[in-house]
Amino acid sequence: MNTMRTMKAMRKRAQLATALCLLAAGAMVAVAPAMAAPAGEKYLHVKVEDPSKGESVNVNVPLSMAEKILPAINNHDLHDGKVSIHHAEMNGIDVRALLDAVRNAADNEFVTVKEKDTDVRVAKSNGNIVVHVVDKENKEEKVDVTVPLKIVDALFATAKDDELDVAAALRALSDAGDILLVTVQDASQKVRVWVDSRSTQD
Amino acid sequence: MILLGKIVLGMAGAGLAGVGVLCSEGMVQVKVIEKQAQGTHINVIAPAMLAPIAVHFAPRRDLAHAAREIQPYMPAIRAALDGLRDSEDVVFVEVKEPDEHVIVSKSGGSIVVDVDDPGETVHVSTPIRAISSTIEQLAAATSNQLQ
Repeated sequence: MNTMRTMKAMRKRAQLATALCLLAAGAMVAVAPAMAAPAGEKYLHVKVEDPSKGESVNVNVPLSMAEKILPAINNHDLHDGKVSIHHAEMNGIDVRALLDAVRNAADNEFVTVKEKDTDVRVAKSNGNIVVHVVDKENKEEKVDVTVPLKIVDALFATAKDDELDVAAALRALSDAGDILLVTVQDASQKVRVWVDSRSTQD
Repeated sequence: MILLGKIVLGMAGAGLAGVGVLCSEGMVQVKVIEKQAQGTHINVIAPAMLAPIAVHFAPRRDLAHAAREIQPYMPAIRAALDGLRDSEDVVFVEVKEPDEHVIVSKSGGSIVVDVDDPGETVHVSTPIRAISSTIEQLAAATSNQLQ
């Protein structure tokens, strides 16, 4: 009689343990995607619109994914997340010294080029390097580029003299706030590149 | 009678376990709907694990070329798949044209491609784990050949 009661109790306990295991497994499955999602994920967005043709292309890339992929690509001048730049392309300019000078300077317009058909302005504003190009012949064509100095610093910080550390720049971009990096506008098309913490462009 | 019951239960359990293993990498879905009258309507849902198994048993000499081609890109592919696995659900690319709409996204552990054009709608969903296993099997075909 006692043995029967003990066996029944054991069977109940085994059933309870099975149910608990199943519940735990279910909870793990439900929670796993949320655990996998990196906290504070940033996205690089690219939007190309051509309203005249009713066309648009939207690209959203999680920066953490780009950070993982980039160092794995070894092709031509790109290796280990760094791009080799050849001295010939630098025209003898000491970029690090130039950056130091810009970093220590107050907000200002550094370069203004006015040509017959184009205006170019390069300025420092609120910790960003801002490049503004306007095509005077076609006023609708303009390019604005905003690059935080932190990102430019990251490009050169750990790299050798003839390299740009793109992976470090991506990490810096992840740590920076939401920012509109590039806008290009011409007569029919508009291109925007920006970083924010939303996975969609809505 | 009890013995027969146990045998049936054992077989059913083994069958269920087999189905469980087969479905462990998720399911591949391919759905094509042609829009014209009497157009074809295809909806295939298959265990994703069949793909790496198929590659594993495919004749090595038939895979050799593809395996050699893919080898240099394996580190980048592995990193990309790792990144994909860890990322949240997201629409990677969306192309809208007046008569065509293409979306490539990650949804619940799968890469999903949706195409909607005047002729047909296509929906393809493939689990990332299955893509990873299939590519690893393909890459392994070269290393096996080299040995």
